[in-house]
Amino acid sequence: MTIQKEFELFIGPNHPGATGNMSYHIWVEGDKVKKAETRVGYLHRGFEKLMEKRIWMQNVPLVCRICVPEPDVNEAAYSMAVEDLMGWEIPERAKYIRTIILEMARIGAHLLTVGGIAASLGIYTAAQWGVGDRDYLLDVFEEITGARVYHIYIWPGGVRWDLPKNAKELITKVLDYLESRLPLYDDLIMNNKVFVRRAADVGVVPKDKAVEWGVTGPNLRAAGYEYDIRKLEPYAAYDKIDFEVPYYPKLGEYEVLSEGSDIYTRTAIRMLEIQQSIKIIRQALKDMPEGDVILKHPQWFAWKVPAGYAYTHVESSKGEFGYFVVSDGGKKPVRVHVRGPSYTHGINVLETIAPGLNIADFAPTAISLDVCPPDIER
Amino acid sequence: MNHENWSKLARIMSKRSLWMIHFCTGCGAMEMPPVMTSRYDMERFGMHAMATPRQADVFLVTGYLAVKTLKRVVQVYEQMRDPKYVIGFGSCTINGGMYWDSYNTIKDLSKYIPVDVYIAGCMPRPEAIMDSFLKLFDMIDKGEAIGWQKYHKYYDQYKRNQRMAFSYRLDEVKDIKEDDKE
Amino acid sequence: MMAKELFPEAQEIRKGRIRIETQKDKVGEIIKKLKDNGYEHFVMLSCVDWIKEGKFELVYQMWSYQYKEHVMISIKINRDGESMLSMRHLFPQIETYEREIHEMFGVNFIGNPNLKEFILEGWPHMPPMRKDFDTEKFVKDFYYKIPEVKEE
Ligand code: SF4
Repeated sequence: MTIQKEFELFIGPNHPGATGNMSYHIWVEGDKVKKAETRVGYLHRGFEKLMEKRIWMQNVPLVCRICVPEPDVNEAAYSMAVEDLMGWEIPERAKYIRTIILEMARIGAHLLTVGGIAASLGIYTAAQWGVGDRDYLLDVFEEITGARVYHIYIWPGGVRWDLPKNAKELITKVLDYLESRLPLYDDLIMNNKVFVRRAADVGVVPKDKAVEWGVTGPNLRAAGYEYDIRKLEPYAAYDKIDFEVPYYPKLGEYEVLSEGSDIYTRTAIRMLEIQQSIKIIRQALKDMPEGDVILKHPQWFAWKVPAGYAYTHVESSKGEFGYFVVSDGGKKPVRVHVRGPSYTHGINVLETIAPGLNIADFAPTAISLDVCPPDIER
Repeated sequence: MNHENWSKLARIMSKRSLWMIHFCTGCGAMEMPPVMTSRYDMERFGMHAMATPRQADVFLVTGYLAVKTLKRVVQVYEQMRDPKYVIGFGSCTINGGMYWDSYNTIKDLSKYIPVDVYIAGCMPRPEAIMDSFLKLFDMIDKGEAIGWQKYHKYYDQYKRNQRMAFSYRLDEVKDIKEDDKE
Repeated sequence: MMAKELFPEAQEIRKGRIRIETQKDKVGEIIKKLKDNGYEHFVMLSCVDWIKEGKFELVYQMWSYQYKEHVMISIKINRDGESMLSMRHLFPQIETYEREIHEMFGVNFIGNPNLKEFILEGWPHMPPMRKDFDTEKFVKDFYYKIPEVKEE
């Protein structure tokens, strides 16, 4: 009798450990993963096709649906691409408002991810906290933009309307609250022995390969590169704001425990980024000038965007979000191609680093790479 | 106890402990974590997320369904035990929502599986979701949530539509009739 | 060295955005040269359908962290049936992009063994991202024609 050694295992799409509606097909021998394959396509809506059918302005509500946890980066990148082609310079106040909105979205997405990583390692309280705390941010978003999740607030030419009068107090209140919560997260997650044991040196993205594999964002910074698009090619008001980019091995108050971008370092970087984001929002609120928030252009719905190619990218909580926009001078785009950060993280990187992992470490690795399927398949 | 009273009692009992299948099918799934966790806390309705379809009673179809997902949704739905209830979440399940002209999303969920309650809105708020739960309880109480019975009754019609969608062709219908003859 | 110095034909279309128009057989060489000269991040590979000219434009995009510059290497191939050499040996993620373009536009990449189904499942029609595929018509003829379940 021969004993079958290798088994196939399907994680997802209906699986709490899968990161959203996607699935992984893994081959295991004993407890070790031999080979992994990412299966996507469950969320394909054909955005890029639909965008070719709609006029430039109608595309704003579409693009935000490409990344559900952090929709604003899409609006920002798309708007920047249109502004780029049009040759517009948006008002100063709008830049600051964009910065505030984008950073709030980043905090929300990071809270979800950190909670998710911890939950996948058995600390379910963290997921409850992360989602719960993010909800207070959503309340502020609702006050500012009118919607909880999809804000459609950043438009080509600026932002849709000015912040409400009490925005400053609202935002400051939430930031104060979050700041008071962060030490608790540290106690719960980062200083938790269970977490440290299971997260350190697991799911490592090697430093020498990270750039070549197309790793971006916090995952790249965890591997030891100080690359951040907010610094390299500042958009919105990031060039006027003074902030630090946390990267390995400068982990601030967290211990350096391992080498390369493992689950622990990736989580630590995200926690540090939340602190930086709070700092950025505070500063932006303080420095924000008065004035218009949107360019006064007639006929919003009859734009003809000059022919050309544009590529704009923003630093999202997951990595580089890029928009490649082609126009032929018409009322509708010829092609919009979105580069989602999960495209490389979720497919090539995960498939390459998965062999050798334990089955139980597979889901945390995927979540800590912040794989989010809608930006893979659009 | 006679049959009628018995099923009434069963309904009263079952509505108090509905378990929801944990399957995030579309972007509406983003409002599920707040509902499931501490802030809105659906556990106070006796609802809880469940990973396996065999122990779940409610299927929240959270938003648009790509055809590829529809296959999985049908599988999951068929694995669930009777009585089972479906909540269509967001305008995408009603008429396609903003993807009305997309080549890969099904437009009307009720053509493929029976839906008991719909929630309108493009990303319905948590309050709306909880309201739909209450409405579902009410319907179960009155014996109106009979989607699962419809699925048995019109099984061949649902299957026909599902097969059409899976193959992206309308003419697949013929084959199915031949199938039935065998 | 920056892209402008390496390739005289490169034009700067905007600050930090370089565009190189070239031929099919030079792409591998250019990507290799750029990769060795500090353009080490492969951003994406996209495909644009220029239906009036009867061409597909493939755009290979790379970014240099060092020079803060984005390079688009663009080639045009015939729409009907012309294939392209795979570049997957240069950057691993190109394989996925090629797989997607194969599925969505129908471009064949020689030397890529992994061109199987990626996003769609059992799609029997024309690759959907081509301009001559009319999604609105498809939806009207297909999804809206699926009959409703009749209840007695
Ligand atoms: S109704 Fe809106 S939120 Fe819900 S799935 Fe559709 S697009 Fe997403």
